[in-house]
Amino acid sequence: MFVYEKKLEYPIRVKNPNPRLANIIITQYGGPDGELGASLRYLSQRFAMPNDEAKGLLTDIGTEELSHLEMVGTLVYQLTRNLTDEQIKTAGFDTYFVDHTAGVYPTAASGYPWTAASIQSTGDAIADLTEDLAAEQKARLTYDNILRLSDDPDVNDVIRFLREREVVHFQRFGEVLELTKEKLNRKNVYFYNPSFDKGAMKA
Amino acid sequence: MFSETTLPKKSCPLNQCADGQGKLPCCGQLAVPYVPFQPEDPEVYQRSEALAQGTLFPGLNLPFHLKPNGDPVPQTPLSELQALEFVLVELGLYLDSHKDDEEAFALFQQYAALEKEGRKKYEAQYGPLCRNDAAEDDKYTWVNGPWPWEQMGGK
Repeated sequence: MFVYEKKLEYPIRVKNPNPRLANIIITQYGGPDGELGASLRYLSQRFAMPNDEAKGLLTDIGTEELSHLEMVGTLVYQLTRNLTDEQIKTAGFDTYFVDHTAGVYPTAASGYPWTAASIQSTGDAIADLTEDLAAEQKARLTYDNILRLSDDPDVNDVIRFLREREVVHFQRFGEVLELTKEKLNRKNVYFYNPSFDKGAMKA
Repeated sequence: MFSETTLPKKSCPLNQCADGQGKLPCCGQLAVPYVPFQPEDPEVYQRSEALAQGTLFPGLNLPFHLKPNGDPVPQTPLSELQALEFVLVELGLYLDSHKDDEEAFALFQQYAALEKEGRKKYEAQYGPLCRNDAAEDDKYTWVNGPWPWEQMGGK
């Protein structure tokens, strides 16, 4: 089960509203490589994992991604407080505003709503963990691009933190992939689906 | 089915790896991905620095070139608790793939004790962090704000 902790993983204090920036950052809330997709990908994939390390890591990183979802939502919330009539007409934000006012909605910056079509849960541990390596890279580069587009130091501190978490997660997924491979047929790790075929994993 | 014939166990001596480098097999299987394993007993940051950098491990700190990294996080009761809990999050992920690293586990135990104490102090002043902790108060304060996204004052 999950229990809510009434605090953020990292402090967030944005002084200046900036609807243009909110409209960019929302993509890490509900975009194809965002935190919602990350958490649902990992928390779904863990059910089919054949080894305890992978079950544990996907649970722990999937849970941390929920904390990141909350952080990205907090950035969007704080960037869209007390907007003036002029600010809601900011190019890009106006099309978000007409549907969602200043609510936080899981969508890509392009306007495409969050979709499970941007994630996978294949039921094959090697394929899933390899997707997870790619997912961390895609999230990392999205944060790189946000840093290119943002000049707000209050926001960039938070984005740098989130970006570095993707680097660490990549490392851990790589290590657990290695621990998984070690228990498979050394000549051909693809001989069986380790999540599905009985006897594929060494004890 | 589990014949060990083809993959040499030999790998480069660990003491040739600097912090920020890790172990790989000298001969790797074709067509499978490899990420070097982080060696045991890696260098670590102090907790407030870890929170500011987004990792406990200097060897994994790979910032983006465009913006300088790591302004100090303002020291508040909340950020001090966040720093303690961040070390636990980071060590937890490390231990998921290094469960036999006894030194890392000892550090995890130390930080868990510090966090328990820090959380108690924080909750006594600022209210419950988990709903069940609300039972410690004279009346039900769980729903009282500010909620985390509203804590612009950073307390």
